[in-house]
Amino acid sequence: MAHAAQVGLQDATSPIMEELITFHDHALMIIFLICFLVLYALFLTLTTKLTNTNISDAQEMETVWTILPAIILVLIALPSLRILYMTDEVNNPSLTIKSIGHQWYWTYEYTDYGGLIFNSYMLPPLFLEPGDLRLLDVDNRVVLPIEAPIRMMITSQDVLHSWAVPTLGLKTDAIPGRLNQTTFTATRPGVYYGQCSEICGANHSFMPIVLELIPLKIFEMGPVFTL
Amino acid sequence: MAAPPEPGEPEERKSLKLLGFLDVENTPCARHSILYGSLGSVVAGFGHFLFTSEIRRSCDVGVGGFILVTLGCWFHCRYNYAKQRIQERIAREEIKKKILYEGTHLDPERKHNGSSSN
Repeated sequence: MAHAAQVGLQDATSPIMEELITFHDHALMIIFLICFLVLYALFLTLTTKLTNTNISDAQEMETVWTILPAIILVLIALPSLRILYMTDEVNNPSLTIKSIGHQWYWTYEYTDYGGLIFNSYMLPPLFLEPGDLRLLDVDNRVVLPIEAPIRMMITSQDVLHSWAVPTLGLKTDAIPGRLNQTTFTATRPGVYYGQCSEICGANHSFMPIVLELIPLKIFEMGPVFTL
Repeated sequence: MAAPPEPGEPEERKSLKLLGFLDVENTPCARHSILYGSLGSVVAGFGHFLFTSEIRRSCDVGVGGFILVTLGCWFHCRYNYAKQRIQERIAREEIKKKILYEGTHLDPERKHNGSSSN
């Protein structure tokens, strides 16, 4: 989860998120250099002694400041498109979970092995145990295995919601009447948090998502099915 | 930036953010590129000044040198970092396969020895 006043991205828990962090670093370096150049140009403008206001031709400069931004955009677009297509790769998921958004909770369906369906409500502050996270912990977590491709089918029963888990690089809209799909493979076990990311009413901020990722061996023993 | 480190985990370095957003300490290759860029800027700018004695133009050359050297080091370092990550991932997969299949007909070492003896 994010800690207080965190601005940067959370540590990656999936290969796609690792790629997104790499791309973010790459874009940020280019942005930094552009900002540096602009600040320098601003400094020069403020300290110049040149005051001729009748300059009309600057063909070379205009050529440079057209071609250079085009090159910069290509340098940013190529890795971006690579990751975009990587997120759409078909990777033969081993497990499919359906996630249904409601006002204001999530329902999860494990239909691959029997018909396990449960709701996931945020824990109200009065019900928190010491160590629980306020506004993030839920009564029933989504238990999933690591190192196995998982398919999430996301939809909504009423209004728009969005199922997001930042550490996995996931954000998929839950749209009533539509089934959206996202796949991921988690690389390390742990408990990971997300929050609804599409305004959906009074308690939009109070319908979090909690994934409990466990080793495949333990998942196969069936802890999730003893609810 | 993440949760406080567990005992035994290496301490995360204190972040230094250039222009308020570029975290030089915790972004791989950033510190290395900025340092080399600064060195390149000083060398280019000062060298230009020694030859021409023009201050403003030398400053422009210095800034240009900073941008070019930083970009060059950045791409070079990120390319090597990406190669290293791929090699680490391949090594991890091979170790996992070795542990899982050791002694069976799927043992990668057996397959490798079989193909080299043929």
